[in-house]
Amino acid sequence: MATAKSKPKATPFLYRLFGAPPAPGEEVVERYSKSVRVLHWVNAVAWVVLFVTGFFFVVNQFGAGAQGGISGVFHRIAAVVMVGWAVMYFLGNPKTAIEGIREAFKWGKDDLGWLKAAPAYYILGEEGAMPPQEHMNTGQKMWWLVVLGAGSLMIITGALMWFFKDIISADAFIWSVFFHQAGFIILFAFSLLHVYLSVVHPLMRGVFWSMWNGKISAKYAESHHKKWYDRIKKNGK
Amino acid sequence: MADKAILFDASKCTACRGCQVACKQWNDLPADDTTNKGTYENPLDLTANTWVRIKFTEVGDLPDLRWLFTRISCMHCTDAGCVQVCPTDALYHHEDGFVAYDRDKCSGCGYCVEACPFNVPRSGGNKITGMRKANKCTMCQDRITNGETPACVKTCPTGALKFGGRAELLAEAKSRANEIGGRVYGEAEMDGLHVLYVLADKPEVYGLPAAPKVPASVTVWQDVLKPVGWGVAALTALGLGLNYVVAKRKIKIESEGK
Repeated sequence: MATAKSKPKATPFLYRLFGAPPAPGEEVVERYSKSVRVLHWVNAVAWVVLFVTGFFFVVNQFGAGAQGGISGVFHRIAAVVMVGWAVMYFLGNPKTAIEGIREAFKWGKDDLGWLKAAPAYYILGEEGAMPPQEHMNTGQKMWWLVVLGAGSLMIITGALMWFFKDIISADAFIWSVFFHQAGFIILFAFSLLHVYLSVVHPLMRGVFWSMWNGKISAKYAESHHKKWYDRIKKNGK
Repeated sequence: MADKAILFDASKCTACRGCQVACKQWNDLPADDTTNKGTYENPLDLTANTWVRIKFTEVGDLPDLRWLFTRISCMHCTDAGCVQVCPTDALYHHEDGFVAYDRDKCSGCGYCVEACPFNVPRSGGNKITGMRKANKCTMCQDRITNGETPACVKTCPTGALKFGGRAELLAEAKSRANEIGGRVYGEAEMDGLHVLYVLADKPEVYGLPAAPKVPASVTVWQDVLKPVGWGVAALTALGLGLNYVVAKRKIKIESEGK
């Protein structure tokens, strides 16, 4: 009979949910600075509020949530927090922010290779054909482009509906609602994909914690972001 | 239930505007501040607190000047843009055919204001917080569902306004239009309005749109984007679910083989 001593330690609930972080003593590298992590989580919380309150305005079956207009107030507050924090981050770290935005637009032949090899990798786990990746891999760059593109669309159409309702024509208003909801659909699908890849996908289990404490295992960094890993190693940290 | 409607006979209207007052009185609507613009027409536009008004139009010149009066209010469309876009079902079709309104449900989004081809609903409230309410004629749904006529009809001294079954009123409108050599407005517009007009001239002359339509933007949004959205959501969920099932199996087998 097994005694209490020989029982393996129970996995903490959060580890089961998000995957385990690097084991103690394992070599880690710095992946995300603190200000980037805070930006990410402020953005994430605001996005959830925006998503839920916006959903009430899209699906009549959930229209009860929008009744009275209070969810619209939360929608506006979350929008201001989201945009405001991003602007503050940008003003506080202009160099890093611009560099970060440029990452989304740096595409090369390894990105093409990534796109070709990605299906076999993400479905079957075949790593062989995956070309070495930078700090952001091709998929992350695509997600970043979606965030920048659809995010700008949401800000522009949202501002039109909020501040310029009385100025723009009725048709321009309806088209603003249209594109706001189109952006909503795009962001919903890609957010699901984003959460899936950073929390659920069997090959990515545990990377969630890098957005929590900034550290990622060196092993993971080397296999998933070879070019970036080699660079930071060479520059000596 | 057979559709109910209001019949407005422009040829009988004297622009006394008793209907405007009766509407305010019954619906407990405060007066709007207005300014004299050199016309008897007052107020000059609908507001969140003014749900019906008489529009004055001068056509031609003396000695052939015609002074035309038109009732401007919710037309209670069958194909109603406002009902299509309302996210909370605050605006809905009553079983009597008209566009009823449940104010408590209104979210203040203002979509109805922009989707109406007659520019009828108005919203009042705070623009910054968005805490506001749309308002428009409800055809006195509280009155007519209790066997009364709408307040504006009740007060009309010349018989220019009439309330009743839509089919009977339409027949009456046609015979009256024949009598005066005019025309009926509202029979087929927006698949049938629940406010029928007897006009002595073309609707444009009275300031009514000749061919009102739900804006194309509303149709594309409601009939194309919404189904596409559900499709995208379903495909995303399905795709990720499938990926998980396959990847989990494949990747486990691989690591076991190592």
